[in-house]
Amino acid sequence: MNNHSLFDPAGPRTRRRHIIFEIVTGAALAALAVLVLATLAKKGVFGAAAWAPFAQPGLWKLLGQGLLNNIAAAAVGMVLSLAVGCLLAFGLVSTRTFLRRLSRVYTDVFSSIPLLLLLYFTSLVLPNYGLKLGDFWFLVIALTLYSGAVIGDLIRSGIAALPPGQSEAALALGFSQVGTMVRVLLPQALRSMSPALVSQLIILFKGTALAYVLGGYMELLRSATVIGQYFTQSLLQAQFVAAIGFLIVNILLGALADMLERRQRRLETQAPSTTGSDIPVLQAA
Amino acid sequence: MELLFNHAGDFGQGVLVTLGLVVYGVLGSIVLGTVLAALKTSPIRVARAMSSTYILIFRNVPLPVQMVLFVFGLPQLDIQFSLYASAAIALVLYTAPFVAETIRSGLNTVDRGELEAGRALGFAPMMSLRLLVLPQAMATVVRPLGNVYITMVKNTSVAALVGVAELTFLTDKLAVDEASPFLIFAGAAICYLVLGLAVGRLVAALDRKVAFSR
Repeated sequence: MNNHSLFDPAGPRTRRRHIIFEIVTGAALAALAVLVLATLAKKGVFGAAAWAPFAQPGLWKLLGQGLLNNIAAAAVGMVLSLAVGCLLAFGLVSTRTFLRRLSRVYTDVFSSIPLLLLLYFTSLVLPNYGLKLGDFWFLVIALTLYSGAVIGDLIRSGIAALPPGQSEAALALGFSQVGTMVRVLLPQALRSMSPALVSQLIILFKGTALAYVLGGYMELLRSATVIGQYFTQSLLQAQFVAAIGFLIVNILLGALADMLERRQRRLETQAPSTTGSDIPVLQAA
Repeated sequence: MELLFNHAGDFGQGVLVTLGLVVYGVLGSIVLGTVLAALKTSPIRVARAMSSTYILIFRNVPLPVQMVLFVFGLPQLDIQFSLYASAAIALVLYTAPFVAETIRSGLNTVDRGELEAGRALGFAPMMSLRLLVLPQAMATVVRPLGNVYITMVKNTSVAALVGVAELTFLTDKLAVDEASPFLIFAGAAICYLVLGLAVGRLVAALDRKVAFSR
């Protein structure tokens, strides 16, 4: 990732020009920032009245609980979708045509339906079938339906990238089909896919904010909205704090994904003959 | 089945609004994403820092949060757009960082040696950018960019959160009214599948068109 590969190294005259550019853009940016901040200050965004409610510890407790609820839903959803994903991956690499096709249809369908639609689906349809669950479970089930499909496909591509000798050797040593999968292929696939799995966890975590529509689950965005209902002049501030909460968790998770990816690349260069190089890295969107 | 045909008009309406969001989203995020990518590869440090900060913030704050902040938060500052415009803007702001990163990775795939060869042949920097780098970068970027936009088609549904009457929103409303919500959801799922497939096909066709022997 060398940013400068597009340019020749700058000479003394270009360097001087760059410094001038830097000063000009820096000054323009600073002027813009001052203008924005001044406008915001005039609207009373930084005023004591707007931030007064934040002096109460109960308000921070509400927000903190909200963030914890987001994390809990994402964590439970991730565990469940890993389980579903492993089962789907077994189906996707199965030798039985029917099973393989069925798994393929499931992954293709559920990975192309928006999460919000699935959330409306679970919260409206499941109660009709006698499943009177809380909003937490509606959210977790929706996350699992979607993310399980994505993770199933991820694990499948992880297995496909392993050299065929792995499963051949395991079968020759007398492992059963299931044993080969569970003890030999799956651990390797999970490890090589760990960066993409963390990226998927980020997507899950972002998705938990959709529970805002259910209203019955106090996640961070809903908490901020509730605060805004009690303290009308503090709505924007509460939403801003909520956004920062999401931002921090996601940045930490992103750093974890980067770390895992670097480690993975290091392992691959140490043992160049093992995995294929065409492992797709999931776009975290 | 009859139920679905009765509501074909509603679904059509929803699909149209969703498609509109997709079109605005693609156009807006291409422009903003290209600008961000250009800033991020520029030799000027302030520009790079600016682009990095934007990307860090806007890709890590979830789209629902951005959408709600935009629609319910900003009016407190007397900044107000129509619902539809707000949803489209939030979608663009959220998608642009992904587009920027994709374009930047495309720029990085161009081999350094080609630039050196270009210079040896007497190409000026802008000329080699126009004739060597951009055509290759654009060609490699079509497919990954397509994936970004397939994800964006799904993300348009978040606009339902703030009350834009697109496909997911209308589906929810129909499902609340109707006796058999299961079918309604199946209909909406089919609509999204078709939309996703259509975008995928479009991208594949474009990819074939710009493909060259590598």
